[in-house]
Amino acid sequence: MITAKHRVGLVFFPAFDWCISADHPEREERLLYTRDQIIEEGLLDIPGIVEYRPIVAEEKDIQRVHICVPSVAKRVSEPHRIAAGGTMLAADLVLDKKVERSFALLRPPGHHANRIVHGSRGFCTINNEAIMVEHIRHRLGPKVRIAIVDTDAHHADGTQDIFYNDPGVLHISLHQDGRTLYPGTGSFLERGGPASFGQTVNIPLPPGTGDEGMLYVTEQLVLPILAEWKPDLIINAAGQDNHYSDPLTNMEFSARGYAQLTDLLNPDIVVLEGGYSIEGALPYVNVGLILALAGLDYSHLKEPDWHPTRLKQSRQVTETIHEVVDQVWNLWENRKKANLQQIFGKDRFYTRHRQIFYDTDQIIEKQYERIRLCNECSGWRLIFSETNEGVGLSFKIAAIIVPWLSCNLCRREALSDFDKLTESKTLDYVYFQDNEQDLFLCK
Amino acid sequence: MQVVGIDVGGTNTDATLLSEDKRVLAMVKTPTDHSNILASTKAALNKILKLKNDAHPVQLHLSTTLSTNAIVEGKGDSTAVLALAGPGLNIADFGFNFSVYSIQGYVDHRGRIVKEIDREEILKIANQLRIDGTKSIAIVGKFSHRNNSLEIAVKELLETQGWFKVITLGHQLSGSPNFPRRIMSAYLNASVASIQANFVQMIEEIIKTNPIISDVKILKADGGTMGLKESCLRPIETILSGPAASIMAALALVETCADNAVVVDIGGTTTDIAVIVGGEPLYQRNGAVIGEYQTLVPALLTHSIGLGGDSEVHIEEHNIVLGPKRAGTAAALGGDSLTPTDAAIALGLVELGVKEKAIAVLKQRTKGKYDSWLKLAEAIIDAFAYQLSEAIHEMYQRLTKVPVYTVSEILAPKDIRPKKVIGLGAPATVFIPLVAKILNLPYQILPYSAGSNGIGAAAARPTLAISLHVDTEEESLIIPELAYREKIKRRLFFDRKQARRIAIEKLESYAEQMGLSDYGEIQIIEDEAFNVVRGFYTVGRIFSIKAQIRPAVWRVR
Ligand SMILES: [Zn+2]
Ligand SMILES: [Zn+2]
Repeated sequence: MITAKHRVGLVFFPAFDWCISADHPEREERLLYTRDQIIEEGLLDIPGIVEYRPIVAEEKDIQRVHICVPSVAKRVSEPHRIAAGGTMLAADLVLDKKVERSFALLRPPGHHANRIVHGSRGFCTINNEAIMVEHIRHRLGPKVRIAIVDTDAHHADGTQDIFYNDPGVLHISLHQDGRTLYPGTGSFLERGGPASFGQTVNIPLPPGTGDEGMLYVTEQLVLPILAEWKPDLIINAAGQDNHYSDPLTNMEFSARGYAQLTDLLNPDIVVLEGGYSIEGALPYVNVGLILALAGLDYSHLKEPDWHPTRLKQSRQVTETIHEVVDQVWNLWENRKKANLQQIFGKDRFYTRHRQIFYDTDQIIEKQYERIRLCNECSGWRLIFSETNEGVGLSFKIAAIIVPWLSCNLCRREALSDFDKLTESKTLDYVYFQDNEQDLFLCK
Repeated sequence: MQVVGIDVGGTNTDATLLSEDKRVLAMVKTPTDHSNILASTKAALNKILKLKNDAHPVQLHLSTTLSTNAIVEGKGDSTAVLALAGPGLNIADFGFNFSVYSIQGYVDHRGRIVKEIDREEILKIANQLRIDGTKSIAIVGKFSHRNNSLEIAVKELLETQGWFKVITLGHQLSGSPNFPRRIMSAYLNASVASIQANFVQMIEEIIKTNPIISDVKILKADGGTMGLKESCLRPIETILSGPAASIMAALALVETCADNAVVVDIGGTTTDIAVIVGGEPLYQRNGAVIGEYQTLVPALLTHSIGLGGDSEVHIEEHNIVLGPKRAGTAAALGGDSLTPTDAAIALGLVELGVKEKAIAVLKQRTKGKYDSWLKLAEAIIDAFAYQLSEAIHEMYQRLTKVPVYTVSEILAPKDIRPKKVIGLGAPATVFIPLVAKILNLPYQILPYSAGSNGIGAAAARPTLAISLHVDTEEESLIIPELAYREKIKRRLFFDRKQARRIAIEKLESYAEQMGLSDYGEIQIIEDEAFNVVRGFYTVGRIFSIKAQIRPAVWRVR
């Protein structure tokens, strides 16, 4: 009798009645063939693989991460709440020891959603993994160390944005080089904010990277980094668009490669991100992931059009990968030696200006951000954000964010700035987010 | 038409004769002879026909444990499975307790043939199987419900040799997905097919000598009936018809049942709980489970708990726990065990057996805070009601957590909460009012507490289901249960309405072909439509429709 070696919780939610728009890649049947394959293979009958119905995330859960402009109700639809809730449930299953590992196999995805949300970008509105991370911290406290390994072909710019200055999170993103693919960011020079410098690890891979390269990166770079940082929990944001058949990217991963990657990473929680080869990749990749998580044999798995020559990766690609691994490892090893004053300045605040494009909703957002450089904590933050030329309404807002384990001084400064800002006549809304106090205000 | 319903149960065989207007004319009970199901059937039939005092023709409905026993006791024919598995899970890992040979050839999830079969390989394996004494073969392909042509090709190849007396094809048993279940279903079907064929042959002889019997139908696990001919093709569907008969009896006897209800059948050793939603019984999510075999056989959902009139009584410090094992015969009925039945008799809740013996056995077991027989008896009755209501509650809890795949089902889940408790079985009069009180629901206790399975068998009506899968990009239309496949024309104009219409028409003509006439309405129970998009263009549509004859019963008075 076949039995899972590791008990796996599967929160499967294909949202068959929801799409962004009729011909959009994020549409009803995205997980149809995946469902067909999972059920036909009999995976859900295997003792130790347990399917769960997602819960619906509440406004409060979303506000622990996002500043939705103007409000959660206006920006976040029910399918997004279910995807976020299903991801939270996946974490609960592991924390409650109902299962050893869990897999939130659901849509819509979330890793391009930033902290400030004016609309959808890269098919994402709210960030499922980030909402889960805050949920976990509200259960386990701020000292829990969480690693997110994002293996989607696109740079996880949203997740990076949210945990950019967060000492409790290690964010590793493997992706096709941003110079060749949306969203364009994810250079290894983006290394995190003043309080968590080096904990944003970007690994840009050349187009044409196959299983061989991906496994090399995992063994030579990702695993050593994880071993050194010693997270309490490993989350894999498992996009499946590195597959050789994906229409949006230029990578060469196979279903078996994904299963091997999962085996190596040994994640506690896996969350589906992108992946739009809905017939040729997703059914097989997802079966591979579930088998790997359950500790079952996936060596008989292969795509109908897979051929051994697929394994061959060009020499040039291999060489580029080796260079990337060396460079990123070098940056990681020397992260604590970096001269932070040189990077973030000697002032009380570090400031940056950014422009963010919402491709899905055609919105341009301009941000001014200020982080308090504090010796006692990771520092409170102020963000001014403004949209224009977008479809529909544009907003001008300010948001104040108090970090976990904030010092009293930062919290006091943040509150007094909030009071001052609420008197401003030029701002539409002013938000205040303090996760440790579980406080969210909007004026 | 009058109907005789016979249910060959584990201990007794129940027979019921219903009049044309579905009144109970007669009921009989005979002991079941396990080694000879046919003799048990015959005995019950003869006994009830003797009580029939007119010459009107009758229809015979049979619910037997023939297949179930053959499976559980491993008495089926020696059977091997040829599996067209393709890549995926390693079939050897499943550890089937029967021979499964992986052969070349497979189709993908869209039903496209990826690899053809290897005739030489098949003949080589089959020849060895024949030499080893294999009588029956099941041919099962992954995704054969999307494209059955490989299964059929293997069958045709084997038929040219004529080596095997039975060949079952996976796709003919069900249009539902799940390859391992398809393998198990087809294996079991092939292994019991000749037993069913013999049985049917002998039933046909009985009909010949009893011209009063106009027609025979066989009961299925889904609570419906099927014809003799069909029962030879799909004997596996006759498994677990006994529990189904009990639920159908409840539906037949209940006053009004268009609403939600919970059916509780309290027996001596176990209590079975079934769920009615909107007047219809709920099905198992994937199919019947029999012993260690998970199948695709549509079956009514029942949850069985080890609690009954004869359950063991465990007296603990703070509470009383009943079951899960049977203690034995109640003291009041001549046994020597303390059972919930004794408690009911001692308290005068039922008039049965010897009350003094019940009180005596209670007195022997007084202990701790249960220091008088009266306190103990009351506590036992309360514990029974409590345990049963908890089990009902848990079953509904589980049902509300069954995964769903659409946003609308998450946001507006179907209301399955019971509005009424329907009680069956001898102890029902004692316990159902208490359970209903705990659950805060009205209740109804059904008449004919003994032998209601015969009523269920008699009142059952035909069911039949087909699955239609249309893939306009592939220009294919398939109905696996009918082994029907056509190339669709004018694919750009093929729409959902047309798909539904074809499903209904095909089901109607199938019913006619199976000689069914008195069936209830046809309903669509699954209806999916998805676009197939290439790049940014919609190039086709996929429709998946399941149509069935609604499981229904004759209302019995
Ligand atoms: Zn992606
Ligand atoms: Zn501070």
